[in-house]
Amino acid sequence: MSLIRICAFSKCLYRRSLFQRCIPPVTHVDYCRLCFGIRNGPVRHISVLVLGKIIDLFHTLFFLIVLEARIQQLQSDGILDIQHVNVHVLKAPKSGKGSGSGKSPKSTLREKGDIVKPKQTLTKGAAKSQSSKTQPSRWLQKLSQEKTNKIKREQVLQKKNVKEMPPTVKPQAGLMTPGRSYKTKSAQQAPDVQAQSQPSPELLAQAQENAEVEELEKRLSLVSDLTSSASTERLLGDREPAVCSDAQFGIRSYLEACVFSGDLERANRFLLSQHRILSRRKLLDVGMYNTVMRIWAKKGTLNQIGRIFILVEEAGLKPNLGSYCAALECMGRSDSCPRVVSRCLNHLEAEGLSLDNLFGQFVFRQDERDMVLKAVCSVRPEYQPASDYLTPDDRHPSLVQDLYLQREGHHYPKLDFTREELQERFGQQLEVEQGCTVTIDSVETVRPITVHIANMRTLLDELRSQWRKTLLAALKERKMILASTKSRDYKLNLYPYLCLLDDKEYVDIMIQSVSNLPLSGESLKVLARDLGNRVYTKCSIRQKGQDLMVEKLGSVYSGYTDLLAKDTEDCLALPREQWLKLEAANPSGPTLQGEELQWPYIVSVELGTYMVDLMVKNLKINSDILNPAYERKLIPILYHMYTFRSTRQVGFIKPHPLLTQIQQDATETRLTFDSYVMPMLCPPVPWISAKYGGYLLSPTKLMRSTDGATQHERLLERCRGLHPVLDSLNQLGSCAWRVNGPLLDIIVSVFNRRGSDKLGVPPPLSEAPRVPHFNANDPAFTSAEKAHMKKEVVKAKKKYSEMHSLRMDALYKLSIASHMRDKKFWFPHNMDFRGRTYPCPPHFNHLGSDVTRALLVFAEGKALGAKGLDWVKIHLVNLTGLRKRSSLEGRLEYANSLMEEILDSADNPLNGRKWWMDADEPWQALGCCMEIANAVRAPDPAQYISHFPVHQDGSCNGLQHYAALGRDVIGATSVNLMPCDVPQDVYSGVAQQVEEFRVRDAEKGLKIAQVLEGYISRKVVKQTVMTLVYGVTRYGGRLQIEKRLKEIEEFPKEYVWDASHYLVRQVFSGLKEMFTGTREIQDWLTDSARLISKSGRTVEWVTPLGLPIIQPYHRARNQVLKHDMQDINLQISHDDKERPDTVKQKNAFPPNFIHSLDSTHMMLTSLNCYSAGLTFVSVHDCFWTHAVTVDTMNKVCREQFVALHSQPILQELSNFLLLKYCGHTKQTQDTHLQTPIDTKTNTHLPLYPQINVQALIKNCSDS
Amino acid sequence: MSTKLCKLVVLAVRAANCRHPRSITGSGQVVLTTMGPSGVFNCGAPSSQSRAYSLDSLSSGPGRPSLGRSAQQPRVEGISAASALTQRNLSAVALQGQRRPMCRYDLLDIGDVEENIIRAKACKLIRHFIVDPTMAELVAKHLGPGLEDTKTIIFECNPGPGVLTKTLLNAGAQRVVALEGDKSFLPDLQVLENRLDGQLEVVHCDFFKLDPIGSGSVKAPTMFSDKLFTDMGISEASWTDDIPVKVIGILPLRNQRGMLLKMVYALFERLSVYRYGRVELNLFISEKEYMKLVSRPGDMMNYRAFGVLWQMACDITLLHKEPWHSFVSSKQCRTVQKGKIPNDHMCLVRLQPRADLFSSWLSPSNAGTLLMMVKQCLAKRKVKLVDRLNLWSPDSGSKLLEEMGLPEDILTGNVFPEEYLRLFQLMEKSQEFTQSWLYDEILENTQREGWA
Repeated sequence: MSLIRICAFSKCLYRRSLFQRCIPPVTHVDYCRLCFGIRNGPVRHISVLVLGKIIDLFHTLFFLIVLEARIQQLQSDGILDIQHVNVHVLKAPKSGKGSGSGKSPKSTLREKGDIVKPKQTLTKGAAKSQSSKTQPSRWLQKLSQEKTNKIKREQVLQKKNVKEMPPTVKPQAGLMTPGRSYKTKSAQQAPDVQAQSQPSPELLAQAQENAEVEELEKRLSLVSDLTSSASTERLLGDREPAVCSDAQFGIRSYLEACVFSGDLERANRFLLSQHRILSRRKLLDVGMYNTVMRIWAKKGTLNQIGRIFILVEEAGLKPNLGSYCAALECMGRSDSCPRVVSRCLNHLEAEGLSLDNLFGQFVFRQDERDMVLKAVCSVRPEYQPASDYLTPDDRHPSLVQDLYLQREGHHYPKLDFTREELQERFGQQLEVEQGCTVTIDSVETVRPITVHIANMRTLLDELRSQWRKTLLAALKERKMILASTKSRDYKLNLYPYLCLLDDKEYVDIMIQSVSNLPLSGESLKVLARDLGNRVYTKCSIRQKGQDLMVEKLGSVYSGYTDLLAKDTEDCLALPREQWLKLEAANPSGPTLQGEELQWPYIVSVELGTYMVDLMVKNLKINSDILNPAYERKLIPILYHMYTFRSTRQVGFIKPHPLLTQIQQDATETRLTFDSYVMPMLCPPVPWISAKYGGYLLSPTKLMRSTDGATQHERLLERCRGLHPVLDSLNQLGSCAWRVNGPLLDIIVSVFNRRGSDKLGVPPPLSEAPRVPHFNANDPAFTSAEKAHMKKEVVKAKKKYSEMHSLRMDALYKLSIASHMRDKKFWFPHNMDFRGRTYPCPPHFNHLGSDVTRALLVFAEGKALGAKGLDWVKIHLVNLTGLRKRSSLEGRLEYANSLMEEILDSADNPLNGRKWWMDADEPWQALGCCMEIANAVRAPDPAQYISHFPVHQDGSCNGLQHYAALGRDVIGATSVNLMPCDVPQDVYSGVAQQVEEFRVRDAEKGLKIAQVLEGYISRKVVKQTVMTLVYGVTRYGGRLQIEKRLKEIEEFPKEYVWDASHYLVRQVFSGLKEMFTGTREIQDWLTDSARLISKSGRTVEWVTPLGLPIIQPYHRARNQVLKHDMQDINLQISHDDKERPDTVKQKNAFPPNFIHSLDSTHMMLTSLNCYSAGLTFVSVHDCFWTHAVTVDTMNKVCREQFVALHSQPILQELSNFLLLKYCGHTKQTQDTHLQTPIDTKTNTHLPLYPQINVQALIKNCSDS
Repeated sequence: MSTKLCKLVVLAVRAANCRHPRSITGSGQVVLTTMGPSGVFNCGAPSSQSRAYSLDSLSSGPGRPSLGRSAQQPRVEGISAASALTQRNLSAVALQGQRRPMCRYDLLDIGDVEENIIRAKACKLIRHFIVDPTMAELVAKHLGPGLEDTKTIIFECNPGPGVLTKTLLNAGAQRVVALEGDKSFLPDLQVLENRLDGQLEVVHCDFFKLDPIGSGSVKAPTMFSDKLFTDMGISEASWTDDIPVKVIGILPLRNQRGMLLKMVYALFERLSVYRYGRVELNLFISEKEYMKLVSRPGDMMNYRAFGVLWQMACDITLLHKEPWHSFVSSKQCRTVQKGKIPNDHMCLVRLQPRADLFSSWLSPSNAGTLLMMVKQCLAKRKVKLVDRLNLWSPDSGSKLLEEMGLPEDILTGNVFPEEYLRLFQLMEKSQEFTQSWLYDEILENTQREGWA
């Protein structure tokens, strides 16, 4: 490091004037100091030699100068503070008592500082530096205050220096690195002289604590290898949280934005101004300096890099890999002389960093890697970066150990495509993503284009191009103003974020948002956030292009197709492993796993608000555009107003009625979407780490979280045992899909006719109830009637806008489906914080409603085989919702008896007897009917190639998990975990139970129980039972039941409230009677969570597959974004620095825990299905596969359920919680948390009845 | 700075010149009486005869500078301090068991204070109660002179142990309707009802839960006002008629603002209780809310829509101020001191709807738009009024302001309630505004759907 400083330094000296011009005020001080250091050089030199710290004379010379500068700086600071120090020294002994280590023979620096007497001038320096270490901000402030006394100060300084020379160097060594970097969290690896020779009490305590934790961990060997190691990593990580504050986050993204837009000048100026203001300097970390260094490296200006090295020093930071990397890159680019390079390398190694690490860990952009390598090779020609940075990790959770280690019998499925096909598809997908937006045809049939429609369309087009022009001009003007306003340099402003894209692109985004605005408007916050995110996505894709990532991606992907394509050899590697291998084999160029810097939430919103403001102020139309009778005025098409919710007021952006009318009349035929809304045209990139996978270019998060929440990301990055989870997501994403064309046609025809609420196809707005019109001044109505009519108007308007949004939603889905009609496509997957998996494209995916599910079939077909047709038939019966309590044979029989209806439905779906319309899931049932018809009519049904996915539903998985956890026999029986002749149906069971209660109450004369006679059915209670295990409250349960009761037309409406109130109570008590263990486990979980969050921590756990989970519920913090238009109050409730929200933490823990188990089970099933070569897709607890492989899948599913519950899940959870929340606090006095959990977890674990798990579980799929 | 000063001067001048747009007769003035610092009462020792009568005299004390019309003497409702004192003495004597000559019945026994406190504290909901007999008398007195003569019905909200009820009856009230929301107090009240000859009616009803928004079966204590009023035999009356009902009660602490908003909406649209005429509210509200209610232009923090609307619609009189601890509360409720407004008292405020509120251009049917306008304007107080107006109808802002004689750059927070009313009148007249989207907007529910 010093070497580079020297380079820079010498140049500084020569080019003094230039130097000063570049960074006028700050460096002046530095400069003085440096000059000063030179003068005193020789003296210091000797002292360093005496210390024998540095052997190499050559190096010493350079090192010296650095040291001197540092000493100088410290001393000058110290002297400024001399008064202050004295006070401190006098006070010190009192406070020093606590440290307790005074008895140790060697006195530490701290003690020296403590016990030093004021008159001992020799040790004063040490004392001073010591206290300055503890009070950095104080002396920093003073420094800035006393600029006027500089000359005087320097004189004093000189005198002092002569006197204090020998002792000051010594603390120097200690101070320079650990003392300061103590605050900056890089202290751990630093060669910490002070700490090594004499560990401070805190460190001792920490070490002791470490030992204790390890000790505990050994004791708790029950925890599987991996989870425990993952957990310790996290436990240790907690101590020095790598959390960066909002402000730091903001600075970093600001710098990145400057860099991206190529505004080097601004970035540099900004960094310097941050550096200059001492209070802000504290916010800077090495990474930010590195960012700027990187730009200089691109320019090949080594002296600038040297200067930043000095700044890093000055800020008390330690250069890291990134800093050296930039330096080396710069040297490589500017062909520096080998001597400089080798010095740099030596320093790098002297810092305890290694070149291999650099190549292994660093994220390179563009040709950075090659440049660094070039520089390195200029001195070490034989150097080859070690390519083994993916040392295969053998540690796998015990659940999947066999799966990973014994792969002989595995048949990973191949895709039904050749290599060329896949590569071609890759090209198409790349093109789509680079385009950022996709415009597709709407399925809304072109009504015969009337003159009016045509007029409106041209009008709209004209308006749009006019708006585009105005917006473009306005944006340009505003940007100019923003750029020229001399706001202070250190203030973050929006300017760089407005330079990321072409002006035209910002305008396009705005215009697009106008056409997508809902009728009733959108709250400003939401609208702004969406706009901001859209810019971010676009810019992130652009960035990848700029970094030359696309080329590298192409080459790796083409290698990757070898694994997937059908015309290649079988390979026993998982996609993730294959990808890593390919990337390692192809190291040059940018690193693919780039670290995408998410923007801070507030920046997205601010940028969005800026854009909204631009639109509100500039987009106008003539008021007489539709009705020439009106006076012509330019009126804004969007207006900002407030709606009032209770006492809160919410800023809203609403479209002017004129705009709405034009848009509706024009009935546009094209829809524009962001490219990531569309399914992928090629297999998604496998997830290889928490940061990379999914789409080719569009940014994707592995774990979905609320805007701005970062705790999950940090957790995932630190976690090493993610492989099974990633592999499972890759498996889910690898399934190719296609659209069921014939069904799409039918649905679209219904959609374009009048829709149908019954079939889940939202009717068009022409079907909406008329908004009643009445004259408010009409004396014919009484005031009560008027009030009533007013209510009706409100209701009608609400209904109207609801219908509109439903209609639009369906339009999007169907249009995407129709666009994908003849293509094959993939859904990349990610997960939520509990590990539940979701396809990334938001509108059209297999998780959607009955309509979208019905539209999707597997792209790959498989022959039905011997039992396949039967399974399809059983599937059909399941879809109807009938025969819930029949055995499989019963259902099959029922299906066979219905063959006539089925064939009729398939042949004449809309004109026949319409049997399918009465099913629970009508469209899927219709699809199934058609499949059956086709198969039956095939020459040999067993050979019929079916693309149809057959679903296997879990029967209330939450309850299954509880029953298995609690080894609850009765409960287990009712959710099909125990061998039984007929499938059990827990919902009917509960309904029956409730009915019994009702009869009893009715006899007692309870009115509502009598009213309810004959209305209690499976359907009424189903949702409540299902959600009860997921933590639904009585309040929510009542609402659910209310909804069901309202659906029953005959049920007297006036009793709905009472009846739902009564029923929810009965359902709760009915369930309690059936599932005893469940209650107990739930209580235990709730209690634990309550204690944990009461102690101020967030509930965390690790799933049996090694996925770390943290609940993101915290007390809300208000952050106000000030804007002319409106102050936006951002309620931030995910900030993990805030205290946890106890109520949410507690209430959500049981359901989240069960969800995490459920997702674990799904992932296990998916991994095993993959190795068995099946197609497997999941919709949470509903698993899909080809008809022919249903049996295999059921077997796997059952086995994995058994395997999962053979693990001591609750025991492990309890151990983990103990280790995490109690192991830590042993030493402190925090018995509050410790004891209750201790006792709770150890003694209060539900006692298992002695049931064999194996016997317990017959099947877990509803069959 | 100087511009700011200028603005202040302008504001002051306008305040002085501000005339109500309509001809004001008699009570058409905002009367803001402020009280002197109240004495400290000890609720545990209600017998403290040392209670300074002068403190609750209705003359304005040396307290805060009164707002708005500081120049005028607060109107004293025909009772001089002296006469108040005599009456008080009378009732104090009556307390000791003597008969009052004009009363037809024996005076009712207020009951043991300690016992009443215990009963009040047993209430499961968070509520405040008047238990102190002297305070009850004071309140009764404020409800007007000659309780015994008028036909005005008194609705007492949540009487609890019935101290105020009995005091009112003792003071000669002709007809009191006790609306009690908590079942546990009902039996005792009903016993009292039966003992009397129709002067008291007890209804299981919570006045503050009248007319719920949303649908569903309505169960007591929730009720619709038409049922209540029909049961009481009160028929709809014209707005300009005499005040048919006086309501006395303590506004529940939870969601005071929401409640006040809901009531003022009902007032402007003549819904709920206001269908039956100008119902006068006498409510104890927290000092903080009161200060906001009567806040005047220029006070950008506290000048809010609900205050403006109330000031437009009603004569607001502060009758009395009482420290929190004089009330017995059923549960420990914190009165958090947040912000700068002092909040250690409850204020008894009379909200008397103006007889001349509605006119040819303001009727309940278009009042919704007025509400909307005021709310939109005051969502942010530091925006220019002209911008708001232009938003609703481009280019008409400056025209209107000119007509109003307001400066072009006036902020919405500097406009007087009377001026808003006038502004609305002008907007009503103007053709341009009727095309504006403002007229299509409908104020959505301010309260959540359903009820607790």
